[in-house]
Amino acid sequence: MKKTLLLGFAALTMVAMLSSCGKVPQEKIDAANAAIDSAKAVEADVYLAADFAAVQDSMSAVMADIEVQKSKLFKKFGPASEKLDRILGMAQELKVNAVAKKEEVKKEVEGLMTEVATMMEENGKLMKKAPRGKEGAAVLEQMKAEMATIEATVNEAKGLYDAGKYMDASNKMKAAKESATKINTELNEAIAKVKGRK
Amino acid sequence: MKPILKYSLITLATLSVIGGGFALFYYSIPEPPKGDIDYALASLHQASLSNAKRYSKEKYLKAKAYFDSAMKQWNIQNKRFILSRDYQKVSYFAKKSAEIAKSATSNSKELSKNLVITVKDKIDNLTALVSNMNNLFQRLPLPDEFRKKISKGKMLIHEAEVAFKKGDYLESSEKIKLAEDLIMDSYKKTLDDLEDYFNSQPYWNRLVKSAISNTAKNNSMAIIVDKFARKLFIYQNGSKKYEFDAEFGKNWVGRKRLKGDKATPEGIYLVKSKIPANKTKYFRALLLNYPNSEDIENFNKEKATGRIPKHAQIGGLIEIHGDGGKGTDWTDGCIALDNNDMLKVYKAVEIGTPVVIVGSIADFNSIAMSLNLKHNQIKG
Repeated sequence: MKKTLLLGFAALTMVAMLSSCGKVPQEKIDAANAAIDSAKAVEADVYLAADFAAVQDSMSAVMADIEVQKSKLFKKFGPASEKLDRILGMAQELKVNAVAKKEEVKKEVEGLMTEVATMMEENGKLMKKAPRGKEGAAVLEQMKAEMATIEATVNEAKGLYDAGKYMDASNKMKAAKESATKINTELNEAIAKVKGRK
Repeated sequence: MKPILKYSLITLATLSVIGGGFALFYYSIPEPPKGDIDYALASLHQASLSNAKRYSKEKYLKAKAYFDSAMKQWNIQNKRFILSRDYQKVSYFAKKSAEIAKSATSNSKELSKNLVITVKDKIDNLTALVSNMNNLFQRLPLPDEFRKKISKGKMLIHEAEVAFKKGDYLESSEKIKLAEDLIMDSYKKTLDDLEDYFNSQPYWNRLVKSAISNTAKNNSMAIIVDKFARKLFIYQNGSKKYEFDAEFGKNWVGRKRLKGDKATPEGIYLVKSKIPANKTKYFRALLLNYPNSEDIENFNKEKATGRIPKHAQIGGLIEIHGDGGKGTDWTDGCIALDNNDMLKVYKAVEIGTPVVIVGSIADFNSIAMSLNLKHNQIKG
């Protein structure tokens, strides 16, 4: 009878051990979440939106895996823990890449600003050379208004740049460049036409 | 019974009881709603890929909230004793999340598909309209406010194009809508004002026809000035003898009302005197008898009704003179010609020659057609 009781106790102990041997990898969850927050803090969601969404989706999937394990009698958090390691790595890499991408966009904006400033200076010079006869002067009036708008747009972009919103600044500068290029082309064509007549 | 057999039977019976109990316990554990959660996750992922965060934001956020509720509820249930867990709510929330995420995906796909077409169309149409507008707007004395609006509108078209190229159709749509509002507002107002102005066209036509028929009847000469066409014609004996390009006051649309308004008068005038080269700074000039009796009557009426200030003066010294050919309307209200053309006019014209100045000989519809203006389309 003593042995029977011992056997029963051993079986129950085994069940208890099996059901509680898996432990939620809370530290890893916290580390992965912190890494994702850290990536968001450097605007990974803006500069590498798709990659950021992928990391977030992976995290949600792992959290679901963890809940699945928590629901079971025999818990096994090993695979989830490995996934969390991978997510941590991905989020850390994402942060580095987002910083690099942001810097790249910042440099792009700076380049566009220089390019547009040069073009605007050239446009100013071309305006002086542009033909004024017939419809010329009227066309120049409209161009002056457009150049003022380009300058206003560049100023808006500078404001966004100073506020660290490089992506928005980039969009504005691209539009400003397109406008400035168009005016440059029109002025060069008008001047070439007059030269051709001479 | 041998003791060994006895113990074996007892052990077997004990193990069977324990095993049976365990099996009963194990199979009583509720099944976690993994399938529903996985399906919700996959649906949310699809929604995210279809950019539902942008195109169907409300639904996407609702789906996400349901998913979060499902996870929270699952977590709560998992903290309870294993046999008393109930995952029904978890399943319900997960299913709702999946259902709404799927709807968000389909909305997002539909909207972005439609936006690609409509936004591209709008960008193309507005670009074409702006190009047509240049034909008209470059010759009209537009208020600075209009020019600014049009320039800003053009810039917004470029911004819409940049967003479109990046695949951000919502942003592109917002930009093109702003551009459309700015451009259309100026365009409609300009066309409306112009249409109002052209209400006088039948009257102008009668003036011109009468002046030309008088030159035929009296074997005489008349100067006809068409402000909209920017032309000065000389008719002799019923036929057109000369046609020159002309420039006017900066605010040439409409009749002259008072001194300093930089408008070129409209009506029937006479050449009052011929001013030779040494008496004018504009090469040569023909002084007109502005203001005539009609101008004075209109001026007094407007002054009496307070439409022009009490201290305003009617002005004078309206001439046809040289130094034109600048390509813009630059005078204070006079009619300027290129010097070569002015010399011909000066030589041909005598004092007393009638000068008929009208807004336009052509009617509004033919002008709109020649400038490819889509007035009806806009008005509709």
